[in-house]
Amino acid sequence: MSSWTEAGAEQVALPYPYYIDIVTKRYFDGVDNKNMEQVLGCFTEDAILTEVTSNTVHTGRAAVGTMFARLFSDFAEIWHGNFVHTADPQSNSVCSQFTVLITPNGSTELRYENCNRFYLKGDKFHRVYVYMSGDNLLKEGAA
Amino acid sequence: MQYEPTLSRDELIDIATIKYFGNVDAKNIDAAMECFNDEAMLCVQTEFTRHAGKTAIRRMLEDFTAAYATIVHKDFTCTVDETNGRVTASFEAVLTGHDGDVTRLYNTNFWRFREGKFQEVYVYFSGSNVLV
Repeated sequence: MSSWTEAGAEQVALPYPYYIDIVTKRYFDGVDNKNMEQVLGCFTEDAILTEVTSNTVHTGRAAVGTMFARLFSDFAEIWHGNFVHTADPQSNSVCSQFTVLITPNGSTELRYENCNRFYLKGDKFHRVYVYMSGDNLLKEGAA
Repeated sequence: MQYEPTLSRDELIDIATIKYFGNVDAKNIDAAMECFNDEAMLCVQTEFTRHAGKTAIRRMLEDFTAAYATIVHKDFTCTVDETNGRVTASFEAVLTGHDGDVTRLYNTNFWRFREGKFQEVYVYFSGSNVLV
């Protein structure tokens, strides 16, 4: 595992449903229900989450947690759905397209059409890349 | 929409990275268009820009390739869902303008295949949309 690279040849494949389930039934279910423990349980300790459309980088599980704490605080309602996945056990990665419905506190619902690329190390997210169709909600001071 | 998968892992990667982007970089539009079904759709999701049908996609690619002196797509990292006929690639696009200015983008494409060709293509940009 020391030579880990994104989708690298050294990966150990997990069952196909694992990739769909960690994205939808664990990660985004945790985000939508503001369950921080469930969300952060999907990441390795030294995971990095990058919001590519604004080049915002959150390094380490603690920083990812800080970002989500702000998201949970700033938005009354969060929903991710309409998923289409590209799941690849051989490269231990999954890429997902989805709709986001999100309501800032005291405001009206916003809709985004986003995608995430998830690269796993073992059975957890080690690198995550987020592309957003609108303004970046995952940066400091957003919303 | 789910389509019947017909291509192997290697074939999916080859069409996306070599037959499509290789020919875009070479400005060989006829060959790049061979990758698309007639009623294919290419959507730049980060900008809500949609090109529906081969005629519209060709027009977009002709304008795109004419707008830059050189176009290089490289450093592909592919995620392949052979079971469902889909492939996703992250890559760097290096676009050199006729005035020498260089634009670097770190994009992600999602391709959904039907009968061996692109049926739906979704593009997510790290910067401004150049596929207008």
